[in-house]
Amino acid sequence: MNSVMMSFYRRQEENKMTKNFIFISKTLFFPKSGILAIGDLHLGYDEMIKEQGINLPFDQLEETKKELELIIKRIKAIYTLKKIILLGDVKHHFRFQVQEISDLRNFLKFLEKYLPKESIILIKGNHDTFTLKDYTLRDFHIENDIAFTHGEQDFLELYDKPIKTIVISHIHPAVLIKDKVNIKREKYKCFLVGKYKKKQFIILPSFFSITEGSEISEYSKGEKYQQVVPRNKLKSFTAYIVGRDGVYDFGKYGKLNSNSV
Amino acid sequence: MTTVSEAKQYSGKEIEKILHPLIREWFFSKFEDFSESQKFGVMNIHNKENILISAPTGGGKTLTAFLSILNQLVTLAEKNQLEKKVYCVYVSPLKALNNDIHKNLIEPLQEINQLAESKGIKLQKILVGLRTGDTTTSEKAKMAKNPPHILITTPESLAIVLTTKKFVESFQGVEYCIVDEIHSLDNKRGSFLSLNLERLNDLNKEFPLKVGLSATIEPLEEVAKYLVGISDERKVKIAKVQSHKKLDLDVLIPTKDLIWENKPHIQTYNLINNLVKEHKTTLIFTNTRSATERVVNYLKDKFPVDYTDENIAAHHSSLSKGHRFAIEENLRQGNLRAVVCSTSLELGIDIGFIDLVILLGSPKASSRALQRVGRAGHKLHETAKGRFIVMDRDDLIECAIIQKEMYEARIDKIHFPKNALDVLSQTIFGMAISKPWKLEDLLNLIRKSYCYQELTKEDFLSVISYLSGEYDLEKDRVYAKIWYDNDTREIGKRGKLARVLYLTNLGTIPEESFVTVKLQTGDKIGVIDESFMNRMHKGDVFVLGGSKYSYLYSRGMNLYVKPSPEKSPTIPSWFSETLPLSFDSAVEISKFRKEIRKRFEKNIDKEKIKEFIRDYTYTSSQASEEIYNYFYQQYHFSEIPDVDTITIEKYTDERDDKKYMLVNSMYGRRVNDALSRALAYLLGSKGASKRDVEVGISDRGFYLSSENTKIEKAFEQLNSENIEEILKQAIEKTDVLIRKFRHCATRGLMILRTYKGNTKSIKKQQMKSHFLISSVKKISKEFPILKEAKREVLEDLMDIEKTKVVLDWISSGKVKLSYNFVKLPSPFSLNLILQGHLDLMKIEDKQDFLQRMHKVYMQEIERRHNPDEFSYDEFLQEAGRE
Repeated sequence: MNSVMMSFYRRQEENKMTKNFIFISKTLFFPKSGILAIGDLHLGYDEMIKEQGINLPFDQLEETKKELELIIKRIKAIYTLKKIILLGDVKHHFRFQVQEISDLRNFLKFLEKYLPKESIILIKGNHDTFTLKDYTLRDFHIENDIAFTHGEQDFLELYDKPIKTIVISHIHPAVLIKDKVNIKREKYKCFLVGKYKKKQFIILPSFFSITEGSEISEYSKGEKYQQVVPRNKLKSFTAYIVGRDGVYDFGKYGKLNSNSV
Repeated sequence: MTTVSEAKQYSGKEIEKILHPLIREWFFSKFEDFSESQKFGVMNIHNKENILISAPTGGGKTLTAFLSILNQLVTLAEKNQLEKKVYCVYVSPLKALNNDIHKNLIEPLQEINQLAESKGIKLQKILVGLRTGDTTTSEKAKMAKNPPHILITTPESLAIVLTTKKFVESFQGVEYCIVDEIHSLDNKRGSFLSLNLERLNDLNKEFPLKVGLSATIEPLEEVAKYLVGISDERKVKIAKVQSHKKLDLDVLIPTKDLIWENKPHIQTYNLINNLVKEHKTTLIFTNTRSATERVVNYLKDKFPVDYTDENIAAHHSSLSKGHRFAIEENLRQGNLRAVVCSTSLELGIDIGFIDLVILLGSPKASSRALQRVGRAGHKLHETAKGRFIVMDRDDLIECAIIQKEMYEARIDKIHFPKNALDVLSQTIFGMAISKPWKLEDLLNLIRKSYCYQELTKEDFLSVISYLSGEYDLEKDRVYAKIWYDNDTREIGKRGKLARVLYLTNLGTIPEESFVTVKLQTGDKIGVIDESFMNRMHKGDVFVLGGSKYSYLYSRGMNLYVKPSPEKSPTIPSWFSETLPLSFDSAVEISKFRKEIRKRFEKNIDKEKIKEFIRDYTYTSSQASEEIYNYFYQQYHFSEIPDVDTITIEKYTDERDDKKYMLVNSMYGRRVNDALSRALAYLLGSKGASKRDVEVGISDRGFYLSSENTKIEKAFEQLNSENIEEILKQAIEKTDVLIRKFRHCATRGLMILRTYKGNTKSIKKQQMKSHFLISSVKKISKEFPILKEAKREVLEDLMDIEKTKVVLDWISSGKVKLSYNFVKLPSPFSLNLILQGHLDLMKIEDKQDFLQRMHKVYMQEIERRHNPDEFSYDEFLQEAGRE
């Protein structure tokens, strides 16, 4: 084994030692507590495109279920799955539509195949305005020393002493990778992990596959677009890029692509 | 098959005999004799023969077409036998031209009416109606109630009228159909019109007589078939009116020397200024819209006394209608010293007296050059004076050869797109709105169109499947546009909104919006496609108007840049508006190269060769000196590529260890585009790792840059039989395909520009098309809209047919490949690198790329031992500098 690979594996080992979580594709899993966290799904985005007069032959709901099924199966093969937390923006529209609610039902039914209702936690996102009789939309959820919230609004409770880790989504982080000649460039979804206000933040990429997401530079400024962690702070976060065969550590986000900050 | 034959020319006496006395008197009060095209046209039209009249501008074509028709209408009007129906449909692709014709038709009609009145002859009123995108709703309503006897319209408005119930009734006895400016229909608009002409034919029991009017054009037989469509019963005559206009051409070099002049632009403007001063009215053609504005602004700035808003103007298609008309009117009145335009004044709008046409940069084809120069000395027997102004040595040779082709009356051939499935989808939808159709009847009608004569049943059925929502994955099928009954094999319209949807989304011209490129000082450089801006990141370098700029930031519809002449472009410039060099002219240049090469090989002395150059290309002594020197340098450096030889130079740029293969293949950009991408694909996908290949394409050749430099092997593997398959795979991941797909999806009504009262921005359309294309691919590789986008890239944007011809020349040994290893690129090749349109053939998988870059990152961390100090971005920049 050459030195490069050695160092690679060394870093991987370190990760395992210090981290109580693992990345599985676009999702985050806590092996100890058996919690699976899933980022923004934006169900109904396909509908919105169709509403605009574009004939998109894509069934987002079915595709989402297919992708998630693979992930759940992978987890169940090794670990015990105890809880699923949807980090908000499950659906895309602000408006209430019959189609959306039935899509949501359909999706929850799918999850209920694997877990009972009470083990499926719905966090309220900025796009979520629906109500369901059998589910509560929560601003945040705390499980031992981990807090889960959407990431648009801040809550005092998140910063309670015992809490070590805060898991959010909302900003759809992505990163542009270039090669030497700066001609080839590809965008990938990524996780961002770093320290802010003495807590470890883990930001999940969006789960929905229609777009990769946004680089920091693309986040709109101003009050309209709120987020818990400030733009500048994100530069010090480590980017983990989601690839087909694994999730890759690419170091500090700010250093990865200074042009985009 | 349609029968094509030559038209008989008649004498003035014969024509006089058939004219109604009023028409005859009116005609001779205005003209001395019939023009040549009238001698061909008037009798043939009177005898109900379909006819294509090809004549140079100023040949009185338009009146030719209308004379017989007015003759018949006046005869009927006198007998009070004019019916309430449309007798004649006149279609022209130009809006401006329509207004023009309106004037030219209405005035004669008024004069004839006055003449009749003065003689106490009572005539029924002959109505002329104008129906274009500019026609108001109340005018339209009036027209439906009281149909004009002569309807003046555009291809788009014709399609609308054919789908309007009230109008269709008055469309069932059309006797004449005139198609003007056919030579400008060698695009999807042409396919669109040809289908709609068949719809018109289908409404009429008697085949409406077709009169086609075109500028000098080749191949006439094919254009004639386009006009009447394909059917055993159809016959068409061709009248080719020769030009008696003398040509007075020259190629001018604005500087003393094309290489060593520091400020060629200043010299160019001085030259333009001098030429304008020596003439009364000068028309200046540039090749791009942005250059048009640039030239006007520069002349006004540099010569404020000579040029003001009153005497110089820019004319291009993005100007408002009112603005354009005002300029045209000013031209006719002789108020303007100079007008600068791109392509908008190429067509036959009457613009009054022009005594000089300047062609700034190569017009890229002899037909276009003739069309442009033909605007000077509008009367048929005058001399047309044209001057090419060239910017560099390649431009010089190109213009010299085009000038030769013009003098020798050789023109390049036009090509109509075949089997465009997006246009077909749109038209079938329109037809289904009019009435239910049996599939068989529908296919028969479509195949009568010249552009769809070879449409396969499979493609036809896949369009029907697409339109009827069979490919649709949704349950509710909101996007099904038609119903299809499998038992009766009939189709029809679906939904109440169908008609509105069709009327608000029809058409074939892709919508583009432009962003202004500015320096930080606010100086305007030019415009680029809006969708192009969306792909750009800070620091990107791109080519605009021949110079390189790097992107700083954007504010609204402005994009700010700084000049970066030393950097290489990082963005492909396929977006640029430049016209491709025609294959025919390119081959002519190769033949010329061969002639010179032979002379060098025989050691013929310089003066003799220069003399040959002057004789061969009709150029001046200065031009022949420049051309001689260019060839001399190339010959002594390595080898002159020619009509029998493609030279390939292998070269490594030592500064960054980049390996280049420079291919001198003078076949025009459309062939080089196909050839280079197919070779790049073969180079990139062979070997252990699939890697991207950099491609630079120009009219004169192309370069490839990749790890794998075994281009010999790639040439061996490529042949006329496999290129189509290879190219289809090669373009799979290109931006060009995504862009064309957006256009096709809009034409094929997959993306509705206007839906539920909202119009979508291009940006929105573009963003979605990326995802759309990948979804479509998952459903079927044969999805008609995707198939069409690929066809358009291969056949219209590129020229796969000619590429096959070239590949056959190579495999038969007619053209040989000559490889040279060089320390520096040869003079001919240098421009391939400098001016080539840069693009990247994406062959490496996105995921493989991620893993490769991760390894690079890991190695670098290992080298530096402290990951926190490591900046990936700095590392990339350092690597780039090495």
